[in-house]
Amino acid sequence: MMLAVTSVVRAEKLQIDGSTTVGPIADAFAEYFMRTNPGLEITVKKTGSGDGAAALIDSRCDIATMSRFMKDKEFKSAVDHNVLPVAHAIAMDGVCIIVHPSNTVTAMTSAQVRDIYKGKIKNWKEISGPDAEIVIVSRDTSSGTYETFHEKVMNKEEMAKNVEYVNSNPQAHARVKTTAGAISYVGIGFVDADVKALKIDGIQPTKETIVNGTYPVARPLFLFTNGYPKLGSMVYKFCTFYLTEKGQEIIEAKGFVPVTKY
Amino acid sequence: MKAGLRITLDKIFTVVAGASVVCLCLVLVGVLGPMLWRGGSAVVFKGTVEFRRMQLTLFSRGNEDKIAAEVKQAEIARAKVYSEIEKFKAGIDAQTLTEKARQIYRQFGNDLRQVNTSAGEVTELRSVTRQIRDRLESAFASSNAAEVNESLAYVLSFKNDSRFKNTSAAGLIELAEQYRNAIHGVNLAERQRYYQEIRQVEDILVELLGPAPGAQTPALMMNRFGATRWDLAQKLLGRLLWYEEWTKQGPEQPMVRRLTPRSQRFAGTEIEGLFTYIQQNLPEMLKPKTTIYWQYFIDDSTPGHYFGGVGPEILGTLLLTLLAMLFVVPFGVISAAYLVECASDNLAIRLIRMSINTLAGVPSIVFGLFGLAFFVLFFLPIFGAPSKGCILAASMTLAVLTLPVMIRSSEEAIRAVPHAYKEASLALGASRFRTFVKVTLPAALPGILTGVILSLSRVAGETAPVLFTGAVALGPVPKSIFDPTRTLSYGSYDMAVGDKLAAMVPHNQFGMVVTLVLLILCLNTAAIVLRSKVFKKLAGH
Amino acid sequence: MLESSTIKAKQGTLKDTLVPAADSYRPLVLTPTEDIKGFLTLHLGRSLLFAITCTSVLAVFLIFLFVIREALPFLAKFSISEFLTSTEWYPEATNPKFGTFAILAGSGYVTIVSIIFAVPVGILAAVFLSDIVSMKIRNIIKPIIEILAAIPSVAYGFFAVMVFAPWMQQKFGFSTGTNALNASLVLGVMALPTIISVSEDSISAIGRELREASYSCGATRMETIFKVVIPAAHSGIIAAIVLGMMRAIGETMVVWMASGNAAQIPHPWWDLSQSVRTLTATIAGDMGETEKGSPHYRALFAAGLLLLVITLCLNLISEYFLIRAKRAGGKH
Repeated sequence: MMLAVTSVVRAEKLQIDGSTTVGPIADAFAEYFMRTNPGLEITVKKTGSGDGAAALIDSRCDIATMSRFMKDKEFKSAVDHNVLPVAHAIAMDGVCIIVHPSNTVTAMTSAQVRDIYKGKIKNWKEISGPDAEIVIVSRDTSSGTYETFHEKVMNKEEMAKNVEYVNSNPQAHARVKTTAGAISYVGIGFVDADVKALKIDGIQPTKETIVNGTYPVARPLFLFTNGYPKLGSMVYKFCTFYLTEKGQEIIEAKGFVPVTKY
Repeated sequence: MKAGLRITLDKIFTVVAGASVVCLCLVLVGVLGPMLWRGGSAVVFKGTVEFRRMQLTLFSRGNEDKIAAEVKQAEIARAKVYSEIEKFKAGIDAQTLTEKARQIYRQFGNDLRQVNTSAGEVTELRSVTRQIRDRLESAFASSNAAEVNESLAYVLSFKNDSRFKNTSAAGLIELAEQYRNAIHGVNLAERQRYYQEIRQVEDILVELLGPAPGAQTPALMMNRFGATRWDLAQKLLGRLLWYEEWTKQGPEQPMVRRLTPRSQRFAGTEIEGLFTYIQQNLPEMLKPKTTIYWQYFIDDSTPGHYFGGVGPEILGTLLLTLLAMLFVVPFGVISAAYLVECASDNLAIRLIRMSINTLAGVPSIVFGLFGLAFFVLFFLPIFGAPSKGCILAASMTLAVLTLPVMIRSSEEAIRAVPHAYKEASLALGASRFRTFVKVTLPAALPGILTGVILSLSRVAGETAPVLFTGAVALGPVPKSIFDPTRTLSYGSYDMAVGDKLAAMVPHNQFGMVVTLVLLILCLNTAAIVLRSKVFKKLAGH
Repeated sequence: MLESSTIKAKQGTLKDTLVPAADSYRPLVLTPTEDIKGFLTLHLGRSLLFAITCTSVLAVFLIFLFVIREALPFLAKFSISEFLTSTEWYPEATNPKFGTFAILAGSGYVTIVSIIFAVPVGILAAVFLSDIVSMKIRNIIKPIIEILAAIPSVAYGFFAVMVFAPWMQQKFGFSTGTNALNASLVLGVMALPTIISVSEDSISAIGRELREASYSCGATRMETIFKVVIPAAHSGIIAAIVLGMMRAIGETMVVWMASGNAAQIPHPWWDLSQSVRTLTATIAGDMGETEKGSPHYRALFAAGLLLLVITLCLNLISEYFLIRAKRAGGKH
């Protein structure tokens, strides 16, 4: 399905708020759209899935990018504000546990990850790694990545007090890249040669294991709109771009897994 | 204590006190030095032909013909690299070769249907070709050299067979010959490793030289160009020439990075010498030239600041600060005038002075909260404007922030005007208002201007108040004061901690913060110079 | 005499009666009724100027009003003692907990450590500038201090996280470069210009007589400074330190970027290489993501109110000491 490229005469604006995981995809889509539609203005804010939901509920944005589904109370709040959230799953992602490449550990069980984040395991040598203190880095609480991690790995238990909080995926990546004893979690699109993704419960996060669901912490990435977008509108084109060849090329270039094969 | 000891102590004290000031200077150099150095490379650097191509495509800048000529020259130097790699891949990429073989077989099958041959001959030809194809496939798949050579020999025995000459089946024989040449000297057991590592090499080459000729144009702008700066190219070259591996040291020891030259990894193959070739000919492939990219200060940037400059950020900062000054200067100067001229020491005046001092002490983040609660959520909706962050709300917040500074410096400037001026004017019969407007104010103007410039410089650097009242990290150039804007201050924060792409372009990260620091330093230097001139003038009386 | 000339003025036109200057009385200032326009302009003008000057009072009032307004629903629902003494800050959990003690401890921690670094260097430098060097050198060094003061906080934060943190991690092998030490050192550098300029002002304000008296008794320069000058200027110096503390505790960008943002009290308490979180960083970091009107949002405003109250107290303390200094300086 090739996207028809049209040029819009009047200045149209699109506001997109939300997740830092989906952020790079939204940025890239926005760049492509602004290049092929002169006069179109797209603003992308990346502060967290929670903020995206809040912005959609307040009608402050046209599209909310979220790396998790909306929570119950967000849904209720939306309906109270006459907003009907509709989800579009545009890519698949896996929350990967990352460590520094010099770390000898290559695999962990989810129980071990949980114990580390609860502060029970304090040194890497306790799980046959190097003798170094574990520096725990987590995403802040409004992040969808945090929510997924909290739900699927932490089993909703509280983390230790000495966890360092960072505001975005790139920051978590940067912390692990520069700190030999650090552990954190990011979307698969942020795993590169500077960090090492671990096998969790024996499964290595790759495109295949995410798509066939064997990787335990896999999740879809969403775009939420207020109701289904009007057919032919710019919002509609943006939300269905992931089905096109160019869209999937961009999703793959950013390191995520497209939902279909073009 | 003996006198000698006391004098020595005194001398030591002088040295220590001096050391503290030297320490200060060192700190200043230590903070500004690395930042200015690395930020300076955003404007002055060695740009490659990819940079000039990018400027042409994105900003329509540069001589199209000259650049096209350069690109042609570069392509000649690069051609060898691509062809060598293609050849090498042809030898080891078993899957592609198998696909090709099958394709040729199918083509031959189709061709046979067009030609007038008898049914019996067709079946025979097809079965022979099928055998050839199967042996060829086994040659591709096997890692046993003897087996491979045997199969290839079988296929090549049909080379001079008249039935296959000038037909598409000859392609199969060609494939066999190519393969034989390609795997000459290749250790077949290592084929899998070669395949993975050559893919790594190709990826790095794409980053270095841009998309390979004949490849599809990538959707994202940042992938369409190779290394635009020579220092980036050198870094990539390092990754290309050295293979990085993490090796275990021992129990409870972290792994260490080990680098082996890539030519060693491909020892014995045809492309062993390719790496030295790339290293020696990189200047020819990229054509680096010292570039002064002064348009950095006016260009817009691609998302993530991968390419381009900080033009919109500078514009945003200027808009915010000038608008804030517009709001605060009248209030500040008039308040100062009242406090100097008409104020008596009663309760009201003491309350006002206390308020000014309190305002001066409020932390900037609380101003941000105030700006959000009052200007964005309360004030703007009164006038029907949408209640979201915009330039108007941010500049009003900044105006409140800088009010005490403005009042204090204006007061100082007005008080510094010698009484003689005022008394002379009054003696001539002018009213107090006229005296102030026509005599005191012009005399105090340079001092007030100094205060304005100092306030400007303080406001330009503020980030916390504009975080929730008007600044965004990524957004279009604002069209009205009801739009949010990018600023240098918030942009610097975002580049330092927010963006993954930003980490790939450190010169842009440092460039943005250095632009902010230079702007503020210029304003401050102007204020210092102005103040010394004012001082000299008024001290002369 | 007065009545006759007034009557004469009223009876005839002033033009055709040449009245000698000595006899006549013509008031320099016209009464209100005679010059209504002038009277009105003067007083309305003054009132307008007064009103404009009162904007600063209005601004302070509005700041307090709006911050309290947004924070009040939170303070009414959640217990203030828990807010101030609990160390559990989990605002987005299903049972949100808003304990800011660890965060307050973090703020206090970086402030105190930054002052420990800044005060000796600052006072020594102030003493150096006022007592030891000539005016010429002083006028060269002053701009350096002004430049240090002028560098924006986001630039310091950038330096702290991009240059200082990796260097510290490499050199000292800390497990993390963004920690309390990093933030404290940079905050100390930011507080230095304030401390130096206020101390220097108050030290210079001590008259020559005190110093000359001390030298005439045979004291060396160091003894004069430590035993006479600094004690005499102690109010101003304390004010300078308090102002430096105010700067450090109210600073947002540096701590947000460089302190690591872990809401914990370091174990053991003297370990500066661990991450801490301050009040300012919590407000700045969380605000962008919270829904307007949610308990988290209101808790952040409550934290802002707390910050405001703390800096206000520090401000009053410094004012008190500055007034004392002025009074002490005026005596000489």
